[in-house]
Amino acid sequence: MSEYLLETSGLGLDYGAFSAVGEVNLKIQKGTIHTVIGPNGAGKTSLFHCLTGERKPSRGKIHFNNENITYLGAHKRVSKGMARSFQVTSLFQELSVLENLRIAAQGRDGLKSLKFWVSENKNHHNLEKAHEVLNKIQLNDVSDRLAGELSHGQQRVLEVGMALCGSPALLLLDEPTSGMGVDDIPIMTGLISELGKEHTVMLIEHNMRLVMSISDRITVMHQGNILVEGSPDEIKGDEMVKKAYLGESGHE
Amino acid sequence: MNSKTSIFRGITLIALVLIVLMPFILPSVTLATEILIFALAALACNLLLGYTGLLSFGQGIFFGGGAYSASLVMIHFNFGLISALLISILVGAALAFIVGSLSIRRTGIYFVMLTLAFTQMAYFLAYTFSDWTGGDNGLLDVPRPALNILGITVSDLKSSESFYAFVAIVFFVVFVFARRVIHSPFGTTLVAIRENENRSSAVGFSTNHFKLVAFVISGSITGLAGALYAMLLNFAPLSNIDLVMSENILIMTIIGGTSSLLGSLLGAGAIVLLGDVLSSIWPRWMMILGVALIAVVLFLPGGLWGGVTSLFNKLISNKKNKEESSTEVSK
Ligand SMILES: Nc1ncnc2c1ncn2[C@@H]1O[C@H](COP(=O)(O)OP(=O)(O)O)[C@@H](O)[C@H]1O
Ligand SMILES: [Mg+2]
Repeated sequence: MSEYLLETSGLGLDYGAFSAVGEVNLKIQKGTIHTVIGPNGAGKTSLFHCLTGERKPSRGKIHFNNENITYLGAHKRVSKGMARSFQVTSLFQELSVLENLRIAAQGRDGLKSLKFWVSENKNHHNLEKAHEVLNKIQLNDVSDRLAGELSHGQQRVLEVGMALCGSPALLLLDEPTSGMGVDDIPIMTGLISELGKEHTVMLIEHNMRLVMSISDRITVMHQGNILVEGSPDEIKGDEMVKKAYLGESGHE
Repeated sequence: MNSKTSIFRGITLIALVLIVLMPFILPSVTLATEILIFALAALACNLLLGYTGLLSFGQGIFFGGGAYSASLVMIHFNFGLISALLISILVGAALAFIVGSLSIRRTGIYFVMLTLAFTQMAYFLAYTFSDWTGGDNGLLDVPRPALNILGITVSDLKSSESFYAFVAIVFFVVFVFARRVIHSPFGTTLVAIRENENRSSAVGFSTNHFKLVAFVISGSITGLAGALYAMLLNFAPLSNIDLVMSENILIMTIIGGTSSLLGSLLGAGAIVLLGDVLSSIWPRWMMILGVALIAVVLFLPGGLWGGVTSLFNKLISNKKNKEESSTEVSK
């Protein structure tokens, strides 16, 4: 058994002639919070799409739990123990917060949910899971509200909660704080570091303070490839990283 | 369990009351029968459109397929009532499986176009194989066998009243079944797919399997409706499988409202009644149907049932307000 939960080798993704992800060798150790950072357009989300199965890689391989999942469909990765959140909030807007979580939990049943002849009330385990996650993400007060009526910050939290409902071994989070107000960011930071105790987390994030405070390991991407990888302290002092960010935004 | 998810309470009771009252309120029992038959087809369409978010122009295929298959086995093989209806359910399911499994490979407008193309094809197939379908003339002399259960003749179903009673029972059973489907893990997943297919897939559902089963359930109910229609008319016209049939079923579903199964009964009732009343006065009555559809889409997005419920809610809140103000006065 390898100590890595997820391993990619030479993973790449092209959009036509443009190579958004070059050849990435990423190793995520069990039980860690592993963050991928990098300037805009570095290919983080594209890499993420390959890991979740939303896009088929143009080259390379993905191993999860020592199993080759390179070409496995997105929904099948859930039963293998992966779950994801979306950078752009993607909820069931017209359904209640609790129902959002319950359906996310139901996703673990896969094709068993095709049973059209039994009452949904029989599936206690999914409702229990939904309540469990509801407590964790502390949205109990708004559990009956429609997801679309929540504040942006709450929607981001629910977004992560839905991924949690899959009871995943690996939680893939794409910019969970994206669009969040400064006041809400500590809530998300607390939530993710809490989740890190029970799950392996692969995180894509822009907010440097958050990244530095909770990550066990950081991979920096630049123009589709890995620039450096190391502990938060190593990354903080790295000259190449500073340059990559400077090249992009000019100040920072 | 509350009345919203209980399959025997809530709107099921309203449906039951309507079914019982309809033959007495409406001008004729035959008209009431026709409404229930189209309500079956609209309800099946609603499972796809309202609950799964799939706009299918293929419903006429299943309706016509059910009508032809039941008629043929009765005419050529002397099938009884129940077995002929079972055949129509199976044929409706099989046709829906074929159309569904190929159409759901695409989404959005391409999905709609595929169902449309299948309907055109089915129509010309029916037209071409006129030895079987009667082509333009339709299948004549479709029998309406007696209702035999365990060898005992319960009713010969010759009178329109007895046939209405039979169709009403079938409708009620299907209605309860559809309520069960909606409030099952499967049904809640369909709603999730309608709301956000991408997320549904991300949380672990292979959405195409769910869409396909929704299609098959919808097709089997529509096939059953087609067979009952042929028995009502003693005739299976080519128009059953025409694109216009698909359109009519869709219009009933939309005008009735897609948020509830009861909407489908209202929609079918409204269109069949309108057609019956207006077509005798004015042959161009379909124009009014167009106007009605535009009005509903523009001003009643929840359809007739949505209108009824919001009116009801308003009345209740008005009453509450009045009660509150009157208690204030009496203080
Ligand atoms: N669907 C797409 N088609 C073509 N190019 C894309 C697509 N998505 C992203 N890109 C390009 O790929 C590069 C990497 O994008 P992305 O992975 O979103 O970066 P990041 O998430 O690091 O900001 C960018 O230059 C972007 O413009
Ligand atoms: Mg991104």
